[in-house]
Amino acid sequence: MKNYQLGEFEEIVLLTVGILNNEAYSVAIKDEIESRLKRTVSMGALHTALIRLEDKGYLKSFSGESTEDRAGRPRRYFEITALGKKAMLYAKETREQLWKAIPKAVLEVSLQKLAVSSHQ
Amino acid sequence: MKIQPPKRPLQFLRWFCREDYLDEIEGDLIEVFIKQSETSPRKAKWKFAWSVIKYFRPAFIKQMKQQPNPYGMYKSYFKISVRQLIKNKTFTAINISVLTLGFTCFLLLALYLHDELSFDMFHRDAHTIYRITQRDQQDNGTLRNISAVAPTIGKEVQEQFPEVEDMVRLSAFGRVTLGNDPTNRTHERALSADDNFFTFFDFPLVEGDAKTALKEPFTIVVSETIKEKYFGTGSALGKQIWSGYRREGQPIYLTVGGVMKNFPKNSHLQIDILFSDATWHSLYNDYAQYVTTEWVDTEYTTYLKIKPQSNIASLGTRIDALVKSNYPANREFRSSFTLQPMQEIHTNSSQLESAADEFNANGIKPFYLYTFAALGLILLITACLNYMNLATAVAIKRTREIGTRKTLGAPKTQMVAQFITDSMLFTLLSLLLSVALVYLVLPWINIFANKEISISALPVEWLIFVVVIIVLVGVLAALYPAFIATRVSIVDALKREIKIGGRSFSVRKALLIMQFAISVMMIASTLIIYQQLNYLREKDLGFSHENLVVIDVNSRNLRRNFETVKTEFGKPAEILQVAASTRVPGEWKSFPVATTRSSENPTGSEMIFVGIDKDFLETYKIKLLAGRSIEDPVADSLKIVVTQLAVEQLGLISDPIGQTIEIPRVRYGERMEELEAPFRVEIIGVVENFHFESLRSKQMPVIFGALNTEIQVIDYYTLQINTSNWGNTLETLKAINNKIDPDTPLEYTFLDTRFEEMYVADARRGQIFLVLSVIVVIIASLGLFALVSYSVESRLKEIGVRKVMGASISSIVALISKEFLLLVTIAGAIGLPIAGYFMQGWLQEFAYHIPFGVLVFAEALLVTLVIAFITITARTIRAARLNPVNSLRSE
Repeated sequence: MKNYQLGEFEEIVLLTVGILNNEAYSVAIKDEIESRLKRTVSMGALHTALIRLEDKGYLKSFSGESTEDRAGRPRRYFEITALGKKAMLYAKETREQLWKAIPKAVLEVSLQKLAVSSHQ
Repeated sequence: MKIQPPKRPLQFLRWFCREDYLDEIEGDLIEVFIKQSETSPRKAKWKFAWSVIKYFRPAFIKQMKQQPNPYGMYKSYFKISVRQLIKNKTFTAINISVLTLGFTCFLLLALYLHDELSFDMFHRDAHTIYRITQRDQQDNGTLRNISAVAPTIGKEVQEQFPEVEDMVRLSAFGRVTLGNDPTNRTHERALSADDNFFTFFDFPLVEGDAKTALKEPFTIVVSETIKEKYFGTGSALGKQIWSGYRREGQPIYLTVGGVMKNFPKNSHLQIDILFSDATWHSLYNDYAQYVTTEWVDTEYTTYLKIKPQSNIASLGTRIDALVKSNYPANREFRSSFTLQPMQEIHTNSSQLESAADEFNANGIKPFYLYTFAALGLILLITACLNYMNLATAVAIKRTREIGTRKTLGAPKTQMVAQFITDSMLFTLLSLLLSVALVYLVLPWINIFANKEISISALPVEWLIFVVVIIVLVGVLAALYPAFIATRVSIVDALKREIKIGGRSFSVRKALLIMQFAISVMMIASTLIIYQQLNYLREKDLGFSHENLVVIDVNSRNLRRNFETVKTEFGKPAEILQVAASTRVPGEWKSFPVATTRSSENPTGSEMIFVGIDKDFLETYKIKLLAGRSIEDPVADSLKIVVTQLAVEQLGLISDPIGQTIEIPRVRYGERMEELEAPFRVEIIGVVENFHFESLRSKQMPVIFGALNTEIQVIDYYTLQINTSNWGNTLETLKAINNKIDPDTPLEYTFLDTRFEEMYVADARRGQIFLVLSVIVVIIASLGLFALVSYSVESRLKEIGVRKVMGASISSIVALISKEFLLLVTIAGAIGLPIAGYFMQGWLQEFAYHIPFGVLVFAEALLVTLVIAFITITARTIRAARLNPVNSLRSE
């Protein structure tokens, strides 16, 4: 069995790169995650994740144009590779399998609890 | 102007960040920063810095240059250094001896200085103890400095001035005979102290209580040595000892109140027996009155313990005022008082008279301390410079190694490290050797300098300081050759063509000249001192001082009936002659000097006056030139015998015999005594001149009169002895003495020893100079050797070419020696006049000295040149004999 390793944050980054499609570069990814998930993302952590994903072969990057607001530094754009896509699907599928395996009763109760606690 | 991100964090980022990520990260951060600074610039800056810090994690940190394991390199340095040591055995030996010698001298001088500077510092309160010193203006206008004051001053000062916490007084009361065994009694100095002596100072007691040891009358505290002398081993506390003091005709027995540890050598007080002050109160009726009313006498060495932060100078002036107001009305007050701090007593007392030698022992002038410190540093530096020269010479030999290393890409630091390893190895080896050497010579030095120096006495700070200096100097000395050797180009190094330090060569020459100038100076001085000592020993004094034993008369019994005493002493077969006299040649007490005048010389001249009996001239083998000697003390009581010099000075050359001369006054040391009526005497004989005193002073005319004249009483017996067993003879003499006077031990001196002792300080100076000369000469020679090696190593090729062209070994040796011998000669020209200047000053101390000629300087120069020549030849001959193939092969 092929082992696609993907951490929680890595998965989020990977998905966000997918959302942004051709516009995925570090600051944009950061902003996207922050706006969608309401969590702060440190550049360092994001960068580490990007490097790791690239090392694993899930992402590939290319240098973009250099712009004024980056003091002349080029942007580095990221794209999801085929392997990356597989890994995303694999992650999604494993989740779904697991979801399905949970008895309904357990899930309802705990979801109700969750809803109650979140309303408080 | 666009907003700039904060500088420092950016610099930091650029410093640590991997280059392949740097651009991107920087771009990201700046983008975020700019966006943020639109809303809050301040916060943006902080955020930026914080982000940079968050990037400081392994994934982004630059790969630092990977170091190869340095241990292997260190091992290699060490191995190469050791190989180098073994390969150049001569160099190694010389290098190590150069450094060892320098370090040893430095260590010894540091130990010596530490000892001198720690003098008296073993007392807990050393910093608050002061000694009162007095300065008097004398009648003739000269100043007299005394380290003792009147007995009342200490007491009153303690009572009247609140800052004085404690006070102790020491005094000397002449000598006293001690000993329970009547056949084995000796004279001891009677020194006494107030009863708080042992609580005031920190001289530990082995037995007895520090608080009460000196409380009672007729108690003494003795040192361990004295205890052993009189009581043997075991406890002495509470024991009684017979003393020469008498009360109502009965001898007084003293009680031992305590035994003190022998005083350390680094104390200015050196006391063996201490009497309680109460003793004098019981012994002398008027003592109590004397101690409470005397304000003039300077007999009490007084120490004060003063509260910290007191004004010492003002205390001195207040003592002035106190003494002035109590001064006897019939005397003019011309004194002033100062408080001398304890730590200055040792180094700053040479101008002070003291009440007793024991109260001011072993003083030294600060000048000597500076000289020694300078000497230590000079020796150390010279040794290191010589080492530097040698190491540079060796470095030239190693150029091929250096070239190879460079070709293989060794960085400069590595080569410097190699040289420093070399040098550290030398330094540490030498340091170990010199410590061992110090241990070896220290006992000898302690005996010689009468000190108790030990390495362990050195406090840790000093030890660290000394070691750091030595190691530092070792490393610095290594840096020069290291940088020289690493600076050369690879090609030159491989071709073994190095011309290095062209200019610094003259500096080295100057250094060599200095070293040899000092050597020549020392050699010349040593030669002069030894010649003078020899002269003093050999000089005909005009009388014989061999096989003469002088007996000091200390009691009335021995003085009365001197004829009987003489017969008694004359009885044993080995005693050839016995003479009685008031003074003897080589006198150590002061002798009476009579002003003598005649009709021809009405103002008079000063002449030594000695009373003799009929056997004196014969015992001393003084030659009678005309007339006769004193024969009967009564019949000849108004007759005198004079020396030729006296005759000359009296102007009676034509016919001295039968002339009458007058003696109006006599001087005893500094004290002049006017006789009631001039003493009129008739000359009955003339003797040859002789030296009554040491050869330091000018020969004085001597008058011999009868014994027991008004001028002086009999004080000595002189025995001419011919014996093969001195031990036995001395026992016999002691027995005779004991029969005549059981209370007083025999005090005797060998006259020839006496004369030797007069020059003991000079003999010691001679030894010091000899040792120093040897050291200096060795250092200078090694320095020369280094420089010659240096020169030879860089001229190997030249020598090779010369040999190929047919030069002989001797011509090559001459070629190289010439230059250096010239340097040594220049050194001589500098050193000899200086030596001449100082030695002339020294010789002037002697009224009789060797002629001050050129010869001795020529000798000194010759000795130096010979030493230098041997050194040079030893080095050059090897180079000259080298097969030229070896030196020229590299082309």
